[in-house]
Amino acid sequence: MIRRRSLLTAAPAVALGMALTGQRAVAAPAALTSDSTLLPRGGKSPRIVICGGGWGGLSSARHLRDQLPDAEIIVLERNPFFWSCPMSNKWLIDVVDTAFLTHDMMAPAIKYGYHLVQCEVTGIERDKKIVRTSKGNVDYDFLILAGGIRNAYDVWFGDDVAAAEYTRMHFPSAYIPSAEHLALKNMMRNFKGGTIVMTLPPPPHRCPPSPYERACMLAWHFKVNRIPAKILILDPKPGVAPIGAGYRAAFDELYPDIITHVPNARVKELDPWNKRIMTEAGDFDFDEAILMPTHQAAEMVYYADLIGTDDKGNSTGWADMDPRFYHARSDDSVYIVGDSMGAISPHFGHYPKSAHVANYIARIVARNIGQRVRGQEVVAELPDNLCYMLVNGDPLEAISVEFTYELGPDGLVHQTQIDIDVRTPDLLDEDFVWANGMFNDFLL
Amino acid sequence: MSRPPRIWISTETPARGEIVRVRAQIVHPMETGFRTLADGLALPMDIVTRFRAFLDDDLLLEWLPETAVSQNPYIEFTFAALRSGALRMVWTDASGDFAEASKTLTLAAA
Amino acid sequence: MTFCFDMERRRLLTTAAALGAGLAAGFLPLAARAQISSIAAPQPDDAESDRIAAEFLQGAVPLPQGLALDLPALGDNPAAVPVRVHLTEPVDEALFCQELIVLAQRNPRPLICRFRFTPLTGAADVALRVRLMQSMGLRALARMSDGRFLEARADITVAAGGCGM
Repeated sequence: MIRRRSLLTAAPAVALGMALTGQRAVAAPAALTSDSTLLPRGGKSPRIVICGGGWGGLSSARHLRDQLPDAEIIVLERNPFFWSCPMSNKWLIDVVDTAFLTHDMMAPAIKYGYHLVQCEVTGIERDKKIVRTSKGNVDYDFLILAGGIRNAYDVWFGDDVAAAEYTRMHFPSAYIPSAEHLALKNMMRNFKGGTIVMTLPPPPHRCPPSPYERACMLAWHFKVNRIPAKILILDPKPGVAPIGAGYRAAFDELYPDIITHVPNARVKELDPWNKRIMTEAGDFDFDEAILMPTHQAAEMVYYADLIGTDDKGNSTGWADMDPRFYHARSDDSVYIVGDSMGAISPHFGHYPKSAHVANYIARIVARNIGQRVRGQEVVAELPDNLCYMLVNGDPLEAISVEFTYELGPDGLVHQTQIDIDVRTPDLLDEDFVWANGMFNDFLL
Repeated sequence: MSRPPRIWISTETPARGEIVRVRAQIVHPMETGFRTLADGLALPMDIVTRFRAFLDDDLLLEWLPETAVSQNPYIEFTFAALRSGALRMVWTDASGDFAEASKTLTLAAA
Repeated sequence: MTFCFDMERRRLLTTAAALGAGLAAGFLPLAARAQISSIAAPQPDDAESDRIAAEFLQGAVPLPQGLALDLPALGDNPAAVPVRVHLTEPVDEALFCQELIVLAQRNPRPLICRFRFTPLTGAADVALRVRLMQSMGLRALARMSDGRFLEARADITVAAGGCGM
């Protein structure tokens, strides 16, 4: 039990009064070496290390505690506080404030009894069952990779790091919690007119319906502030999806002079310095841009050498994992939770890369690890998914999409997608019920 | 069915003669009767059999879906606003009228 | 409350639905959903569709004009293909569309649905979502108050599988 062991460790120093009085010289912080240890092991209880403290990681930690009261659970997260990407498009037009998106991560760590260490994962050595971090090494019995996505600028720019960095700095995609969301909001507020280009990554990518929602939020801001802006959505897909009809109605009826959706616009070439983008649907000049590159599994999945390959031996960019039990195909001590997950079924490809799915898979993985530690049969479970997308600022109207999953007679997972295309205010109310329910689950 | 119908209307204050567009969607499984469980037992057919839109008590439109209509049936229709009144929509399945929604339509002053 | 942790998925779905978060309320519980197959078979030809059309036309020959049937070029979700049918000629209280049928010629049951309008409607413009078993031709037939029949046809290619029929 973590609490007991921590007390025992602390007890001698406290008993002597030295730690408090500072009479004894404490060793100066030493430079990290490749052997530095982040957290020494205590007792015999299993240690589960979770890389990533987002929706999937914190949900995993919280539910593992329910499953395994004695386990040592360690979350490694690079950010100092929780920033919710879900609801962040609505934050662009102040439907929610910053306090709604940001959360203290210490409180749930203390409440549910897990270690939270702010550090960067820098390597994973599965043969030694060690995670390397910017604060030292930590060993594990089970590892959960919940790092979300990486922005694969290399797909556009190869090894031209200067172009990738210029693009990231000047036209941030704001799809990973970082300074980029603030930069995006400032860009929108400071925009005086002209053309904004928004590229969508090719599927699969994080939160499929959300780029269109973001376009609607920007368009709403420009519309009410009478800013002569055009938003070009450069979409590699042949049409708007999901909730295509609901989005198209919003574009046509609410923002006909602002939003243009350009289908089949896969990016061929990008010149960020001259603000010019060449696509399969034509070339475009822009004044501002939200340039979302291809999404791939988080770097840590690459570090762990768990990226899949397709029939032709090419990298899939996503984790190679068991589609029913969510652990790496080649290593059942490593689980992948959330957006880094690889393909699930030939019928539909990936589970939607959403916060809802990350939370759901986290619960399932927590149960599955609990079953394994207790020596019980591991029960395969399927998630579902739910997204609400705001399309109008006044009245506040949203659309939604739901996905359900079932196991078919072919032994494969099948997906049913239901779009709710009729934009209504009550769908936004439901969105808040959903978001607050989620925050209650693993953050409060 | 406890879920409310989703209703969108292009305007609640149309000019006389203006074409009003209505979208309505309801949660319903629309079970076709074709599907069977592993033991061979067929899932009984369960579909929305009728949707009616009224202006007060006068019928504007009747829709009779069959099994090909998608789960959570979506219907969009238009009508000419000739007078004020309550736009009322009623969904029916084998259990009878199971959902109703309405919007008040007020003709804009000419 | 909402997201209880060790719940079965089924209960979770039910709870979510009760809170207005899940759309699957009233759907078959997962335990049963888990192993579902379908006995739906596509029509081998247009015969059944033609029979329904003939019954509607009652011997009349439809005019290939005045009615539009709009489909997407590609039905990327065969469980919900958007279909719009609308008159392209003006209507009034004297001349209006009385009845409209829409047919999916190779679906197990080709009749998708039927609409009835009244002199009060003042329009005949409807859109819906349909399940299509495979790529096929669709047909819309309208009976006008002056005794004429109007027809529109369109073909669609749908992505395979997942029709949910």
